[in-house]
Amino acid sequence: MRRFIILFAGMLILSLLLGACGPQATPEPTQPPATNTAILSTAVSPTVEPTATEKPVTGPLTVLCGPQEDWCQAAVAAFQKATGIETSYVRLASGEAVARLQAEAGAPTFDVWWGGPSDGQVDAYTKGLIEPYVPPNAAQIPDVLKDPNGAWTGIYAGALGFCSNKGVLDELGVAVPTSWEDLLNPKLKGNIAVADSRTSGTAYTFLYTQVLLHGENGAFAYMKQVDNNIFQYTKSGSAPGTMAAAGEVAVAIIFSHDCVKFREETGANLVVSFPIEGTGFEIGAEALIKNAPNPEAAKVWMDWALTPEAQAIAATVKSYQVPSNPNTPVPAQAINLSQVNLVNYDSIAAGKAKSALLDRYAAEVREGAAAPEK
Amino acid sequence: MSEFVALRLREYRRLTQDGVLAVGVLISLVFLGFFVVYPLVKILSISLSSEAVAVYQRLLAGRATGQVILNTVWMGLGVASVGTLLGFLFAFVQVKLDAPFKRFFHLIGILPIISPPFAVAMSVINLFGRSGLITHRLLGIRYDIYGLDGLILVLSISFFPVAYLTLLGMMRALDPSMEEAATSLGAGKWRVFRTVMLPMLVPGLASSFLLLFVEALADLANPLLIGGNYTVLASRIYMAIIGEYNLHAGAVLSVILLLPSLTIFFFQHYWVSRRSYVSVTGKPTGYGHPIRSPWVKWPLFALCALISGLILLIYGNIFVGAVVKVWGINYGLTLEHFHFVLFGYGSKAMTDTTLLSAIATPVAGLMGILIAFLVVRRKFMGRSLVDFTSVLGLAVPGTVVGIGFILAFNQPMWGGLVPKLTGTGLIIILAYVVRSIPASVRTGVAAMQQVDEAMDEASTSLGASSATTFRRITMPLVRPAFLTGLIYSFARSMTSLSAIIFLVTPRWRIMTAQILNEAETGRFGNAAAYCVVLIAIVLSSIGLMYAVVGSATGAERLIET
Repeated sequence: MRRFIILFAGMLILSLLLGACGPQATPEPTQPPATNTAILSTAVSPTVEPTATEKPVTGPLTVLCGPQEDWCQAAVAAFQKATGIETSYVRLASGEAVARLQAEAGAPTFDVWWGGPSDGQVDAYTKGLIEPYVPPNAAQIPDVLKDPNGAWTGIYAGALGFCSNKGVLDELGVAVPTSWEDLLNPKLKGNIAVADSRTSGTAYTFLYTQVLLHGENGAFAYMKQVDNNIFQYTKSGSAPGTMAAAGEVAVAIIFSHDCVKFREETGANLVVSFPIEGTGFEIGAEALIKNAPNPEAAKVWMDWALTPEAQAIAATVKSYQVPSNPNTPVPAQAINLSQVNLVNYDSIAAGKAKSALLDRYAAEVREGAAAPEK
Repeated sequence: MSEFVALRLREYRRLTQDGVLAVGVLISLVFLGFFVVYPLVKILSISLSSEAVAVYQRLLAGRATGQVILNTVWMGLGVASVGTLLGFLFAFVQVKLDAPFKRFFHLIGILPIISPPFAVAMSVINLFGRSGLITHRLLGIRYDIYGLDGLILVLSISFFPVAYLTLLGMMRALDPSMEEAATSLGAGKWRVFRTVMLPMLVPGLASSFLLLFVEALADLANPLLIGGNYTVLASRIYMAIIGEYNLHAGAVLSVILLLPSLTIFFFQHYWVSRRSYVSVTGKPTGYGHPIRSPWVKWPLFALCALISGLILLIYGNIFVGAVVKVWGINYGLTLEHFHFVLFGYGSKAMTDTTLLSAIATPVAGLMGILIAFLVVRRKFMGRSLVDFTSVLGLAVPGTVVGIGFILAFNQPMWGGLVPKLTGTGLIIILAYVVRSIPASVRTGVAAMQQVDEAMDEASTSLGASSATTFRRITMPLVRPAFLTGLIYSFARSMTSLSAIIFLVTPRWRIMTAQILNEAETGRFGNAAAYCVVLIAIVLSSIGLMYAVVGSATGAERLIET
């Protein structure tokens, strides 16, 4: 009995203690130590206007992160080290991000949206969820990789492709696909994976590429035909690549750099190929969230993310996109985009068309597979 | 009439006579009202609002809506049948067979209780998937595990302990003299089984079946991972909220999921479980005569061993996944996944989840026992309502609890008196408590019903206050049940996904949500390491309880039954 009382009292006290220190860890903005300010002013490039450096920028900063988990983690860790700004992130697929920002409009959780095809940022900008901001370092970025209105700035680029598991293809007796038509092969039934275009920016790039190739009606006719062969629509754009790596499907429609990443990480027999008719590409973009709780820290992040040092982090976690800053070394494993037949993909037009195309996509291709209401 | 009112008032006055107890009871009731009932009311009102009309229209227009509901029902029926059969087999072998390894079978029978979501599904895909170790590498076939068959397999393994524990308790309580009577009247073993034992077990079988049906409907993790394109209501709600952040669609779909769950659960709770033929006669009971015929005994034993082997293989494979470089592809040993979870990025999830669960556990345990005390020992108007509300948390699917919390607490209430709760760690603790209270209440009620009220009365008539009686008499007597409740609460909180998936924020990382993240992005090694660490935390908490409090505690009862 006594032991029991002691145990119970112990648990209560423990829970009270934990309860007392729990909330403290959350909301209080931590004042960075004086030394951090020094690091901050050296880390941020000298082009930053003096107003930004006069009073120290403090956390917490919340990043809406589009790329792969490990890149998000590495980038956040490096940024915290460089600036002393307390930073956390949530990884959201492109469509998820817009839905979340829309739901939270007026009081967003996030300060900055970093990564993922710029179509998503354009869509969010059209819906009034983005605050235009041009970081000083954007001057170093080529014009084709940034928005003329300053709504977003590109951080990397990459092309959509096929990511095939050669072993599974051999078993099925199918050659590595080299055209969009190849995906309609009945032997591939249930052996192709792609993400849901509503949640994933990757999969929207797939849809919009078809629109460019076949016109809108032709694109939906094609999407419905491919649908017969699709094994599963995932939430996140790169997830189909892991299915191909595991041999659960033969072909994944993903960004080619993700396929290279999975091949290096798993050692699976993955082959990257591109459709001869032409393929779409993404400009991975960053943008400032409208009404961000901490816009000053967000601006520091956005400028930092354009530096060669920040962009070089990608290759250390096997993310081999082509970096947007010409001064960032291009990793040897990166796909040479000049050798790929690219369609004339205008991400601003793609982003503006996104809402309407996705409504049609939901109704005609994915009807009922997820919640229908937009 | 006035007499009636006076009587009721007297009941309430008796309740409030004792300060401490009254405060405890009041807190519990306010908690139930605020965090169980209010969110549900909010969901209902939003699903009936004018904005929801458009959602209904599109749901009705979509030809796949009916298919999703049908899919959900088939899955529920399949899991309920297979899970009940499995539970029956394990309970029968445990009670009626004189065979070796029974203790091992019992441990296998309760192992899935502590398993984190995704663990079984990930392992099954790895073993029996299209490129599965067993199906593809060993047997050379490309078996398509995704869809209904995979779901039934994975969910039956995950939930059959519910059926097993229900049927085990029931079979042990059966009066062997009935069987003896039938045997001495000349009935053969098979006939006794068919005409005596089975009819007496019908309520237990029915109640297992219904509980498993409800559990299967509520599960979110497995349909996401192994469902393929087989969409069920839970995964569709997830898409509505995560993919489109459409709270109206979420509310409408929640109501569609809620109605059958509630109906079946309360049918089970109030009807089936009351039709019990279990005879507590007070006469000495034994386990009856074990089955000795080798023609019955060994096939049953072999089947049980085979299934236990399968379950062990599936769980063992998770450990393999956690220590190899790339599960299913590269079997080189590595500790990097454990490093990631224990010391790297994942360590915050580990400490956060354990912290929040550890706070929620004693709260749920104490409230559960107070509510049980109230329901069993005190008479007052609205008692059955309290009983009803306290088990609601079990009948309501976790996804629905989560959506209800978002809808109810995503803005400050009463002019800022109650702040916005979404985005805080507190709301996750509250969700854990709501999910854990029913188990605490049920174990508490069961224990208190077995304790003679005369002891309470003796204490009171000797002058002890109601609070003293509760503390000195009731509490020690129900201690084992209380501790069992604590362990269940902790395990349930640690492994809970569906209730918190919509509530997690960047500041509080929850292991189960991280497992979903890792599994969804194909980083199965990290996901497996998370699962192993989660299992280890739950097991060591049980062990700690066992070590500190010693024998005759809930910890021991959980393991030995």
